[in-house]
Amino acid sequence: MSSSQTSGGKSKRRFVAGLLVIVGVLAFGVWYKFFRVVTVKYDSVEEEFKYGSIGTESPTGLPYWIWIVLPRMFPDKLPGPGGYVALGASWEAGHELPIGFSKMTIGFERVGMNCAGCHTTSVRTNPNDPPKFYLGGPTSRFRAQDYARFLFACAHDPRFNSDDMMNAIGYSYKLSWIDSLLYRYILIPQTRRALLKSEKVDYYWMPERPDWGPGRTDMNPFQRQVLKLPDDHTIGSTDMMPIWKERTHEGMFHHSDGLNTTLVESVRSAALAAGATKDSINIAGLDRIQAWLLDLPSPKYPYAINAESAARGQHIFEAQCASCHAPGGARLGNVIPVTEVGTDRHRVDHWPQSSADAFNHYAQNYPWAFHHFRSSNGYVTYPLDGLWLRGPYLHNGSVPSLADLLKPVADRPTIFYRGYDLFDQQNVGFVSAGPAAQQEGFRYDTSVPGNGNQGHVYGTDLAPESKRDLLEYLKTL
Amino acid sequence: MTDNDLTPVEQTDRQHDRRLILIIGFLLSLAALYFVKTFLLSEPVVYNDITQHFKYGSIGSEPVNGIPYWIWKVLPEMFPEKLPGSGYASLGFIYEPGKDLPIGISKRRLTVDRVGLNCAVCHTGTVRESASSPPRIVLGMPANTVQLQNYVRFLTDCAADGRFTADNVVRQIETHIHLNFIDRLIYRQAVWLTREGLLQRKQLLAFMDTRPDWGPGRVDTFNPYKATQFNFPMQDDPTVGTTDLPSIWNQKPRDGMHLHWDGDNTSLAERDKSAALGAGVTPVSIDLRSITRIEDWIRNVLQPPAYPYPVNAALAAKGAVIYKEQCSHCHAFEGTDVGQVTALSEINTDPSRLNSFTYELAANMNTLFAGYPYRFSHFQKTTGYANVPLDGVWLRGPYLHNGSVPSLRDLLDPPESRPKVFYRGCNILDREKGGFVSDMPEENGNKYFRYDTTLPGNGNGGHLYGTRLAPADKEALVEYLKTL
Repeated sequence: MSSSQTSGGKSKRRFVAGLLVIVGVLAFGVWYKFFRVVTVKYDSVEEEFKYGSIGTESPTGLPYWIWIVLPRMFPDKLPGPGGYVALGASWEAGHELPIGFSKMTIGFERVGMNCAGCHTTSVRTNPNDPPKFYLGGPTSRFRAQDYARFLFACAHDPRFNSDDMMNAIGYSYKLSWIDSLLYRYILIPQTRRALLKSEKVDYYWMPERPDWGPGRTDMNPFQRQVLKLPDDHTIGSTDMMPIWKERTHEGMFHHSDGLNTTLVESVRSAALAAGATKDSINIAGLDRIQAWLLDLPSPKYPYAINAESAARGQHIFEAQCASCHAPGGARLGNVIPVTEVGTDRHRVDHWPQSSADAFNHYAQNYPWAFHHFRSSNGYVTYPLDGLWLRGPYLHNGSVPSLADLLKPVADRPTIFYRGYDLFDQQNVGFVSAGPAAQQEGFRYDTSVPGNGNQGHVYGTDLAPESKRDLLEYLKTL
Repeated sequence: MTDNDLTPVEQTDRQHDRRLILIIGFLLSLAALYFVKTFLLSEPVVYNDITQHFKYGSIGSEPVNGIPYWIWKVLPEMFPEKLPGSGYASLGFIYEPGKDLPIGISKRRLTVDRVGLNCAVCHTGTVRESASSPPRIVLGMPANTVQLQNYVRFLTDCAADGRFTADNVVRQIETHIHLNFIDRLIYRQAVWLTREGLLQRKQLLAFMDTRPDWGPGRVDTFNPYKATQFNFPMQDDPTVGTTDLPSIWNQKPRDGMHLHWDGDNTSLAERDKSAALGAGVTPVSIDLRSITRIEDWIRNVLQPPAYPYPVNAALAAKGAVIYKEQCSHCHAFEGTDVGQVTALSEINTDPSRLNSFTYELAANMNTLFAGYPYRFSHFQKTTGYANVPLDGVWLRGPYLHNGSVPSLRDLLDPPESRPKVFYRGCNILDREKGGFVSDMPEENGNKYFRYDTTLPGNGNGGHLYGTRLAPADKEALVEYLKTL
C-alpha cells in the first residue's frame, strides 16, 4: 500500500538522521573528554618555568585525580611522610602543584613534569625553617627515579583498582557522573596498564644499575626510552646541572661530558627525556624558557663572607683554578680528557658515538632536528656561577662539600648522605652527615660503580689556611 | 496503527494494558522516591536561631565521619566502665537543660539519624563563680572542659570491644525505641560499618598514645590531620602539636591576621574550613551554607562577654598604662604587630607546636578542596607564633599556645617560678590571678587533668614580657587584663 511505503521510507530517513546525530554527539564527546586542549597563559616566564607544560602530559602524564590520591592511598611506598615532598618535590606556599609539575587539560586534566623539577634548588638555613627555592639550580632533593618507581609500585599494588581509587577520589571531590564513568572504566584501568607497560618497556634498565639518588640522572632515558637503543649496561650517574646564565655558556660544550655543543638541542632533548614525544614537545614554551635562561642570574651566597679571607682566596683561585674555571680562562668550557682530570670515567663510557649518531638522526623530519650530538672523552670545565649551592660536587656528585673537594682523595668521605637541603656554611655544601641527614637523605656510597670520588686533585696540597681562603672566595661565585 | 483500527476486544485490552503500565509506573516512582529519601537525601536538623544553629546545627560532619544516633546514644550505657563518670557529660560535654544532645553534637538524617561534631564542641565553654554556682555557658569561648581526645578514645575503645556486636547494640537500642524489621536490618549493618570506621580511625590515630595526653580544652591541631587527611606514616614523625582550643568571637578585626597559633594561614575562610575538616567534615560532605551562617555570626555579631565582677578602677587604669607601653604593640587591635608572627628565637615559648606544622604538611595542605574554587592556598610554614588580640582573655586560660601557664599572674612570673604542675578542666574562675582555678586535683570525685610542664610540648618557658615588673605593677596589669 502506498501509505505504508511512504511511512516506511520516512522512518528509515528519520532513523539514519537520528543515528548521525548520536554519532555526532559521541564524536564531540570523545573529542571534548580526551583531546580538547585548553591553553594556559602564565603570569610570567618564572611561572611558566615552574608550572608550565613542556609537552609531557599527553604521552606520560597522569590523570589529575589519580595523581592526587596516589600518595594518600600508598604512603607505604614513599620514603617518609609528606606525599610527593617525601620524594623531594619542592612545593611553594599556595600552589596547587609542586615546582616541576604541570597540570594541563587535554580532554581531562593531566599532570606532567617539566624542567623545573630537576632544575630548582631547595635550601634551608635552619632545620625547622621552610626551604627557599632557587630557580635554575641543580635540584638538591628531587628523586626523579624514585618518583617513577613510586608510580610503578602503586600500579603493582592490588589496591590500584577502580573501586578503591574511586573511593579515595570521592573523599576529596565529587566527580560529575560522566567523569566518574570516565575514571572508573577508562582512566584508572588504562593508567595502571600504561604504568606497568612503561616499567617494562622504558625503565627496564633501572633495577640492575646503582640508584641515582636525589639530584642525579643519567643518559639512559635518552638512550633506552627515547632512542630505543639496546642496553649496553653502562652506568652514567650524573648530577643535574644548573641552567642559569646560559648566555655566558655560548660556544661551550653542554652537559657535564660535553655531549652537545648547542643550548637549544640540550633544552629540547632534555624535554624528550622528561617524557615529551616528538609530536607533543612544546617547542614554543621551551623557546620562551630558553630565552629566559640566557640571562637568569645565579643566586648570591646569602650568608656571611669574610671579605679579607675571600680576597686572599681570589689570588689562589686566579693562580690555580682560573685557567679552567674563570671567565677568560683558556680552557673554560672545554672538555678535559678524563685521563687528565682523573675523575670517575663511567659517564664518559656511557654515551658512545653510536648514541650521538642515533640522536642526530632522531627527529630528522622535524624543523627542530638535532645535529650537534657527539661523544666525548672527558668532562667540561663548567663556569662556577652559584657554586655554593651546586653540591655535592664533581660530575657524579661524589664529593659532598667544597672543603671535601680540597682534601686528598684518601681523606674524602666514602659514605655520606645527599638529599638533605640544610646548608653547611662551614664546609660549603649541604649537610651530609648526622641523624637528620641520614633520616632524610640517600646513602651515597663512593665504592658503588659510577660513584667514584677520585680525581680533580687540584688544590688538595694547599696549606690549610690557603684552603680556607680559597673556600671563602668560592662562596662569592 | 491507531485505536480505530482495533477490534473492541483489542481496544479494551489495550486500555487495560495502559492502566497497568500507569499503576506500575506510579508504584515504581514511589519506590524511587522512598529510595532517594532514605539513602540519598541528606537532611540536617535545621535551626533558625543562630545561637541554636551554632550549638546544635550540622556543618556536614555526619555523612562520612558521623555515628548513627542510636548507636552513639547506647554506647555509654553498654560500656559505662570506659567513661570516667556518667555519660558524655563526664567527658566535659555541656548539656543544656532539657536537651537530648550536648552542645557541639549535631544530628543529620541520611538513611538513619547520625550525629557528628560541629564548631561549638571546641568553641563553647563554661565558667562558674564558685564551686556551688551553676555554670554559665559562653558561646565562642574555648571549650575548657571538653576532653576531645578521651571522647575519640571512648568511641574507638567501644568499637574494639568484643561486646560491640549487632545483637548487643540492637538489643540495647530497643530498650529505648521499637525498631521495625527494616530498621533492625539497617541498624545491624550500621553497627558493622561503624565498627569498621572506628577501628580504622583507632589505627590512624594510634600514634597519639605515644605522646603526652591532650587533657581538657586542648587538641593536637595538625598531627591527626597528617594521618586522617594525608595518611602520613606517623611513626616517622615524633612531633607534638598540642595546643589550647582558641576563642572564636569577634572575628572581623582578625581578617588578614596570621591565624592559628603559629600564624600559618591569613584567611579566615580557610581557617574555618580547615577547622571543619578537623571536626569530621570532608571536602565533599561540607555544608557550606551552614558554615557561612556561623562565619557571618562570629565575624559580625559574637562578642566576648564583659568581665562580670567588680574591677578596681584605679588599679586597672595603672595597668592600662603599662599595657599600652609594654604589650599593646603585639596584642592590641591597633597594635603595629598584632596578628604578625613573632619569631621563635624571640618569643622562646615551647617550639613543639611550631615544629609539628612541618613544611611537608604545609605543602600538602595546598591539595585540600582541590577541584573547588576554595582550594586551600593560604597555608604556609612560619618560623614563630602569632601575636593574638586579647579580647575576652579572662575566659581564655590557661595561657600561651599550649596552655602551659595557668593564670595571667603566673605568666608575669619568670618561667622558673611558674607552676611546674597544675590541674586543667576546672571552670571556676580565679578572680585574683586571672584564669581558672588550677590547684584542685579533683572536685566531688571528678578528677581534673594533671598538666606536667616537663612533658614534650608542654613547656612553659618564654614570653618573658612583664616578668621584671614590680609586683604592684603586675597586680595592676592583671586587673587591667580582666577588662579586655
